[in-house]
Amino acid sequence: MKPTTDIVKQYRMVPEDFLKHLFATLGIVIGLVLLASLLFGVPEKPPLTIQTYANAHPLSFEQVSLRALDGQGRIANYGPPYNHGTGSVQSGLQTGVGILYPVNTATDFVLHPLAMTAAMNPTVKSAIATFDAAPPAVQQRWEAAYTTALTHGHVVQGTVITPAGHYGPLPSLMHGFLTLGQSGLLSGALVRNSAVTTRFDNQNYLLFLQGDPLHNDPGTQSMKGENWGIIHPAVNGYPGAWWMTIPTWIYQWPFVANAAAADALALSIGFLFWLFLAVTPWIPGWNRLPRHLGIHRLVWKTFYRSSERVGTIHRAS
Amino acid sequence: MTNWTLTAKKRLGTILSAETWLPTEMPEYAQGFMYMLGSLTASSFVVLILSGIVLAMNGPETWATNGLMRFTAATHFWAVQAFFFFMMLHLWRVFFTGAWRGGRGKTWLLGAIAFLVAIPTAFTGFLINGDLYSQWNAVQGKDGINAMGLGWVNLTNASQMFGMHVVVMPLVLGAVIALHITLVRLKSVVPPYPTAASQSTKGVSDQ
Repeated sequence: MKPTTDIVKQYRMVPEDFLKHLFATLGIVIGLVLLASLLFGVPEKPPLTIQTYANAHPLSFEQVSLRALDGQGRIANYGPPYNHGTGSVQSGLQTGVGILYPVNTATDFVLHPLAMTAAMNPTVKSAIATFDAAPPAVQQRWEAAYTTALTHGHVVQGTVITPAGHYGPLPSLMHGFLTLGQSGLLSGALVRNSAVTTRFDNQNYLLFLQGDPLHNDPGTQSMKGENWGIIHPAVNGYPGAWWMTIPTWIYQWPFVANAAAADALALSIGFLFWLFLAVTPWIPGWNRLPRHLGIHRLVWKTFYRSSERVGTIHRAS
Repeated sequence: MTNWTLTAKKRLGTILSAETWLPTEMPEYAQGFMYMLGSLTASSFVVLILSGIVLAMNGPETWATNGLMRFTAATHFWAVQAFFFFMMLHLWRVFFTGAWRGGRGKTWLLGAIAFLVAIPTAFTGFLINGDLYSQWNAVQGKDGINAMGLGWVNLTNASQMFGMHVVVMPLVLGAVIALHITLVRLKSVVPPYPTAASQSTKGVSDQ
């Protein structure tokens, strides 16, 4: 092996009960964990469900749904791995992955779930037929007009009321969809998979709520990126993922925060920080820093005292 | 041609020996609380595995509804906190003592990899809990994962995250930790820096 000059060579071996040491540390951890669990429990806030959102914010629910239908929503124009959009593409790597989990928000989020209710709701059935039969340009005209109408809309007893206008079947469609959301059945329609009986993939449930519903939820405000959110828990007073402090700090750098590819930048720079740490042993100068910092003197205080007493410490540098 | 079995037998004979894993003496400098931090981290991992097995056996729905499972989920949560807390203290200790000296660079590197792997291991666990924190982190985290070209890791698909958290990540992390500890046992912990008072004495080490 390559000779080194920064290591004490002479030291004594002292008796040790290694198994006792291991069981002692295990006992300490079990004790601490049980105590914390008994005293503090587990920090959890109830999730935001589609039903909760539809009942609490009928107007916003219709706006979110209409953006899914007309292709103006963030997921509708996201890009890979969901679709061919470009709105959320941050890197060539992202594009290279391709469409792995196809999402067409108009059909997957709105029209297919609505079509299932059509069997029970004749109004929705005829509205879907009218919408499907209309040329795309007409559909877009209705959607644009209804988008404007919703900005002047208000809610009466859980139903959205808009000014009169030429919206085609959209008021019936959106009312039917709001009713579906308020019933609690939309989540089931979003996670259904006709090929299997299991319901493992909840992607569309989460993606439906990922924009305004979750971003405007009072419970998520402290967890937003601009608020150092990655390291914040959902329940104040509990520890969060504090080990992500450096990436969270990088997210606050103005040139990262304001970049279109903020996530790609922050995570890449964060990885470089880790890489620097990982290759510490091979970085000249940096790998000798601890010796100059002197904190090792505290760690090995007892050893240095006893060794200096008997004069067994050796050094060649 | 080399006999693979003989070679493995020879190497594993040392690596897996009772002499390696059940030492009855330690260097005099490796004493006290500072030398418990690595074991405390590994012990936290053991508690995570044990509580995780109980949670996995009963399924995610029970974590929110069954009192006993909620308590087990709490132990899992606090064990994660303990794991990272002791790991961070251990990291500081090994950094400030220059623990990579004497041919221990690989040990350091494996520790750093364990830290890196532990992050998504914990993250995927948060994603399958089904509460607001899960929901928020799934939709927020997906943009970063997608941007890095890792779009096949679908954070919004709780079943994929369940497999990642319960099988894939613990196996990878456990393997890295096992290798890290194996190297620590084989090469022992790094001896102290020589002091200035002893500069005039000879004693160059050959680690």
